[in-house]
Amino acid sequence: MSEVGDKTTEGRPKRTRIELLVRQTDGDGFETREIASGVAYLHSRPQRIPDADWEMARLPYARQGVVTYALKNRRTEQIIQISETEKFLWEQMDGHASLQEIATAYLLHFGSFDFEIIPTLIVKLLRADLLTMRPVSRLRAVLARNRRNPAARAMEGTLHALERLTVTSRRSHQFFERVYRYGGFLLFTPWAIALLALMVGVGIVSGIKIWHNLGEVTQGLASHPLVAIVLVKVVFFLTLVNHQIIHALACVHYKRRVREFGFTILHGFIPTFYADVTDIFMATRRARVVNAVAGPLFHLFMGAFCFWLATLLEPGLMQGFIAASAILQIQSFFISLYPFCFLEMDGYHVLVELVGVPSLAHDSVRFVRESLWRRIRTATWLTRQEAICLAYFVLSLVSIAGFVLLNVWLLTSAGSS
Amino acid sequence: MASLPEIGFLRRVVLFKEVEEQVILALWPSFRERRLKKGDVLFRAGDPGEELFLIKDGGIVVSKPVTGRVEQVLTRLTPGEVFGEMSLFGDERRRSATCQAEVDTMLYSLDRDSLNRFVASSPLAAAKFFQQMAQVAFKRLRDSSNLVAEVTRWGLEATGLDIEHK
Repeated sequence: MSEVGDKTTEGRPKRTRIELLVRQTDGDGFETREIASGVAYLHSRPQRIPDADWEMARLPYARQGVVTYALKNRRTEQIIQISETEKFLWEQMDGHASLQEIATAYLLHFGSFDFEIIPTLIVKLLRADLLTMRPVSRLRAVLARNRRNPAARAMEGTLHALERLTVTSRRSHQFFERVYRYGGFLLFTPWAIALLALMVGVGIVSGIKIWHNLGEVTQGLASHPLVAIVLVKVVFFLTLVNHQIIHALACVHYKRRVREFGFTILHGFIPTFYADVTDIFMATRRARVVNAVAGPLFHLFMGAFCFWLATLLEPGLMQGFIAASAILQIQSFFISLYPFCFLEMDGYHVLVELVGVPSLAHDSVRFVRESLWRRIRTATWLTRQEAICLAYFVLSLVSIAGFVLLNVWLLTSAGSS
Repeated sequence: MASLPEIGFLRRVVLFKEVEEQVILALWPSFRERRLKKGDVLFRAGDPGEELFLIKDGGIVVSKPVTGRVEQVLTRLTPGEVFGEMSLFGDERRRSATCQAEVDTMLYSLDRDSLNRFVASSPLAAAKFFQQMAQVAFKRLRDSSNLVAEVTRWGLEATGLDIEHK
């Protein structure tokens, strides 16, 4: 095996070469061939998993005419979204066609070709097929690179230990099916919508009443601040469970599977409950939107209900606690539905359905980092998708900056008063 | 037996670099001359091995079977280099790789019995010989570990598997 050289002029390492000896069929004659890794890559013949192990569903975004597909690995139950062009490539990956042949077929079919599309898709497919390849945060990547540093090693160990604090049930689907059968289905009827509308109306009226008596309500809290904070946090934490349960029931409602339900320490420091309802990607667009909105609507209902309940109580700790919980629930409703923050929360999924860009957060960061400056220099118009990505990026950036400034202002105001 | 003592050539062979001339002259009758035509296989991986070889002229390609008629080229050996010593001193007395003449090649061979006699008769010279042999073995080990790293890199590039960033 040999290398052409350690580095190219651009500073990137050159592709390695392997030297093979191929014997002739008659006698000891032979020839040697150098095979560059790049050539081997072009001649590799990717093979998709057996047909029985995967399924594909079309995800129509009729408004913009963009068509994407959900591709599910039935064994690992992982789902990825692929575009029309990626679907074409996927169909070619039968184990017989080499990447070079696939690229040629693509060129003949679509008339143009960007070679990056194949490695990108292959990475996506590999990730979907590997259960152990969990997403790694940038923090974890940095810590892994600095393992020689004792502090980084200790922090990585701590994060690893915290991440292991995961309580998961992989057989939760049967449980949610039972819950759905014994009454959960009622949440997805017109009656539930009517009840929600009624409660929101009552909640608005109650909220206005509370606002008018704000002094009395907050006095109840102020007299027992520690108890009030603990109570509000505990109740809020419990409502997070319900938020996830509603997502799970919505998944069952659309006859998709709840893969997991449990508790984990997200990114090593955010304790949270979660329901893995990614199977909903195989359902209709309506199902995905309902699933995304169902969780936040629970917060809206609880907020309105708590406002109403607070008006029925006498001034004191309990009324203050209920009113504070109501505010927290309404706040959660808006936060979980707010899409512009780079986090893929419920509102983000609704936005994705509306604009028809499945990996909006990722694409927007990538576009700004890799292509925006070039577009500005060459003064070329943005495509529709690029404009959406740019708008999302700017709005998210502004939102986060606004959120940080608001908190700084609140803290400084509280400190000076 | 080799025709004429080639002291100059043996001095260039790393194993005999430190050995006194009279010892080499005494050992010389034990060397056997071998001539290979281009493409001739000297031995194949798995064959029993009883001798080591010094390359006088030509070149040897060392390969390891991979699949069917395909073998991986491990290294190429040139005049002055020694090979085949693993089956003499290793724990397995079988050839670990296939050696084949890449061009018309002339070799000298030294069998196990001759080597044993050399060790018994000239222990001091034998010590120097084995010291150089250890150097050769260390270099082979280093080359092998470099090869493993390169093959791994080749595999990653050839499969498009991006471990670092994905």
